[in-house]
Amino acid sequence: MTVAAALAHGKDVDLQGAAMRFGGFQAVAPTDLLIHAGEFFSILGPSGCGKTTILRMISGFLQPTDGRVLIGGQDMKGVGPNKRPTALIFQNLALFPLMSVWENVAFGLEARGVARGERKRRAQALLELVALGDQGDKRPSELSGGQRQRVAIARALAVEPAVLLLDEPLSALDLKLRQHMRAELRAIQRKIGITFVYITHDQGEALTMSDRIAVMNQGVIEQVDAADVLYNQPRTAFVATFVGEHNTVPGTLGATHDGVCRIDTPLGPLHALNPHALTPGSPALLFVRPERMRLLNGATKPPANAFEATLHRRDLEGAFLHLHLEAAGQSLVVHQTNTGTVPAPGTHRLGFEPDEARVLPPGALAHE
Amino acid sequence: MNSLIATYGRPLSALFLLLTALWAVGLIALPQAVMIERSLWVEERDTSVELRINALYSSLELKRFDLADAKSEARKTQVAEQIATLEAEIKTLEARESAPRKVYTLSNYTRMSSLHFTIFLKTIAYALCVTALSLMVCYPVAYAVAHLAPPTRAALMMLGLIVPYAINELLRVYAWLMILDYQGVVNTLLAWMGLVDFEARTWIPFLESSGSVFVAMVYTYILFMVFPIYNTLETLDHNQIEAGRDLGAPTWRIHQRIVIPHAKPGIAVGCLMTFMLSAGSYSVPQVITRGKAGDWFSQLIYRQFFESFNWNVGAAYSFTLLATCIGFIVLMMRLFKVGIRDIAK
Ligand SMILES: Nc1ncnc2c1ncn2[C@@H]1O[C@H](COP(=O)(O)OP(=O)(O)OP(=O)(O)O)[C@@H](O)[C@H]1O
Ligand SMILES: [Mg+2]
Repeated sequence: MTVAAALAHGKDVDLQGAAMRFGGFQAVAPTDLLIHAGEFFSILGPSGCGKTTILRMISGFLQPTDGRVLIGGQDMKGVGPNKRPTALIFQNLALFPLMSVWENVAFGLEARGVARGERKRRAQALLELVALGDQGDKRPSELSGGQRQRVAIARALAVEPAVLLLDEPLSALDLKLRQHMRAELRAIQRKIGITFVYITHDQGEALTMSDRIAVMNQGVIEQVDAADVLYNQPRTAFVATFVGEHNTVPGTLGATHDGVCRIDTPLGPLHALNPHALTPGSPALLFVRPERMRLLNGATKPPANAFEATLHRRDLEGAFLHLHLEAAGQSLVVHQTNTGTVPAPGTHRLGFEPDEARVLPPGALAHE
Repeated sequence: MNSLIATYGRPLSALFLLLTALWAVGLIALPQAVMIERSLWVEERDTSVELRINALYSSLELKRFDLADAKSEARKTQVAEQIATLEAEIKTLEARESAPRKVYTLSNYTRMSSLHFTIFLKTIAYALCVTALSLMVCYPVAYAVAHLAPPTRAALMMLGLIVPYAINELLRVYAWLMILDYQGVVNTLLAWMGLVDFEARTWIPFLESSGSVFVAMVYTYILFMVFPIYNTLETLDHNQIEAGRDLGAPTWRIHQRIVIPHAKPGIAVGCLMTFMLSAGSYSVPQVITRGKAGDWFSQLIYRQFFESFNWNVGAAYSFTLLATCIGFIVLMMRLFKVGIRDIAK
C-alpha cells in the first residue's frame, strides 16, 4: 500500500528536562522522557495531571518554560505547530463541520498547496485505510461517533506525520465502540509504523494498546514501563494504586534478606519484596493485588503470610468473585475465579506468598 | 396555534395574537403603506376654470355698475340678487381652483433629477465603503476578543467597545467633529508638531472630505458590526483553529477556510445593519461635513420634507432608498448563502 509506505517514517520524541509552568503553577515538572520511533506510547494519569500539557509541548502549541523538546533529534524550539512533523488528534476531534469528509481529510494537503485532484485522490486512499471509502462526500455531522473518530485519524495521517499525538480520542465513545476502536488504532499504528503518543486516563486502554506506558501524577511522570512490568512491578504507591486494584497495608520495615523483607503491620508481621531496598525502621506500604491473595483451606500448604479476616460482602462479577474482608481494621479485597462455590460470611484464613507482595515508600495514592 | 391555546388558554392567546397583529400593522405595515401611498401621487391644481372665473369677475363688475345706475327699487333688488348668485358661483369655482387634486402617478420616482440620482448612487457607494471599512476593522477585533485574548482581557475589551454607546449618538458624532475640525484635536496635534499653521490656515480640512464621514460612521455603527461577528466567532470551537494550525495551515488559510465560513451569518448580519444604518444616516453627514462635502441622500430626503415641503417626492426618495436596502439584503443573503433563519439566530 502506497499510503503505508509513505508513512513508515516514525521519529522519536525526546523530552529533556521539559517543564511547563503557568504563572506560579507547575503543570509539568521537569521531565526526561524518550519515546522511541515507531512506538505506541501511552501517557496515563488522572484528570488534571498534565497529560494534555505534555502533548501540547510536543505538538508546539506550548513552549516549555524549561528544558527542551526534540523530535527526530531536532530541537523544536521556535518551531510552530504547523511546522512540526507531528499531527494532533483532539479530545473532541475538532473536525471541520462545514467541510465534507474528504475535504476534512485533505485539509492538510490543501494547506500545503496540493492540487485538488491529487488532494482528492490521496484523501480517498486514506479514507479507504480507515474503511470509510464511500463516505467522502458526507458532512462529519452525518457520520457516527466511530466513523468521525476514523475521519480524525485519516485527517491527521494525511499530512504524513512522523509522530501522531492522540489526546483521549476515544473518551467520547461508548464502551463497545471504544474497545473496537482500540484494536483498530493499534492495527493502524502497526500498519503505518509511525510513533503514536496516546493520552488517556483509562488504564484499560493504555494497558491493552501500548508498547510502553508513562504513568503520571500531578505533573510528574512516576514510571515508564511496558504494561506487564507496570502492573506487576509498580515502583511507586501511586502507580500501584492507579494501575489495577491493590490492597494497601501500612507498616514499619524490619530486616531484609535476599530481597524479601519483614514488615510489621496491624495484621502482624508479613513478608514481601523490597524493590527499593528500604532500610529497617522506615515507614512503608505493603501492596498485594486482590487476585494474588486467597482464602486458605486446610488442604493446601499455607503460604508464608497468613492471617485471619472476616468476610462481610461477596460480589459476583460473572467470572469473578469479589470478596470484601476486614482484618484488624484494614479492609481487604480478594478476587477469585468463580468456581461455583461462594464462601460463607464469617472468619476465614487469608494468605499470600512474599513474592506476590511489594513494599514501597509511602506516597500519594490514587483515589478512584 | 393550538399549542398556544393549550398553554395560555383562549383569552390570553387572543391577547397575544392581537398584540402581534398590532405590532405587525402598527410598526411594519402601516408606516410603510403610508409612505408608499404618499409617494404615488402628486397634487395638481385645476387651472381650467381660471377663464370662467375671470369672465365671471367682469360680469360682476358690470352688475355692480347696473346696481349703481338702477332707478327703481324692484330693479335694485333684482340686480342685487344677480350679484349674489355671481359671487356664489365665483366662490365655488375659486374653491375648486385652489383645492389641490390628488393625481396618482409614478412621476415622483421617474422624475428624479440627474443631480439627485448621482447623489443617490454616491450614497450607496459611500454606504458600501463604510460597510467594508467597518468589516475590516471589526472582524479582527471580534476575532481577537473571541479567540486570542485571555477571558478577563476579552471582557475589558468588550466593555471598552460598549461604554461609548452609553453616550447619545449625536454626542459621539460631535466628539468626532471636535477631533477632526479645522482647529480640532488632530490639527492641533499637527500644529504642535509644526506641520500645519493655524495663522496661515494651512490646517488639513478633514471635514471637507467624505473620509471623515466614513470614520465617524464606522465609529458610530461599529457595535452593529462587532457584535454579530463576535457572537458567531464565540461559538467557534478554538480546537478547530488549532487543528487547522496543526495540519500546517498558515493564518490566512485558517481564516479563509475555517473562521470566516463559520462567521458568515454574523458577517452578513453585521454588513446588512451597517449598510442600512449608514445609507440612511442623516445626523453623521449633516454634523460632520456641515454641508461642505456634498449631500448624502438622506440629507436630500430631509430637505424634500422640511425645506421644499414636497412630501410626495420625499416619500418616493425614502422608498427608493428602502427598496435599495432590501435589494442589498437579498443580494447579501444570496452571496453569503445564508437564510433568514441564520440571520434570526
Ligand atoms: N493555559 C493554562 N493556564 C493555566 N493553567 C493551565 C493551563 N492549561 C492547563 N492548566 C492547568 O494545568 C494542569 C494540567 O492540565 P492538563 O490539561 O494538562 O491536564 P490533563 O492531564 O490533560 O487533564 P484531563 O484528563 O482532565 O484532560 C491543570 O491543573 C490545569 O488547570
Ligand atoms: Mg487533557
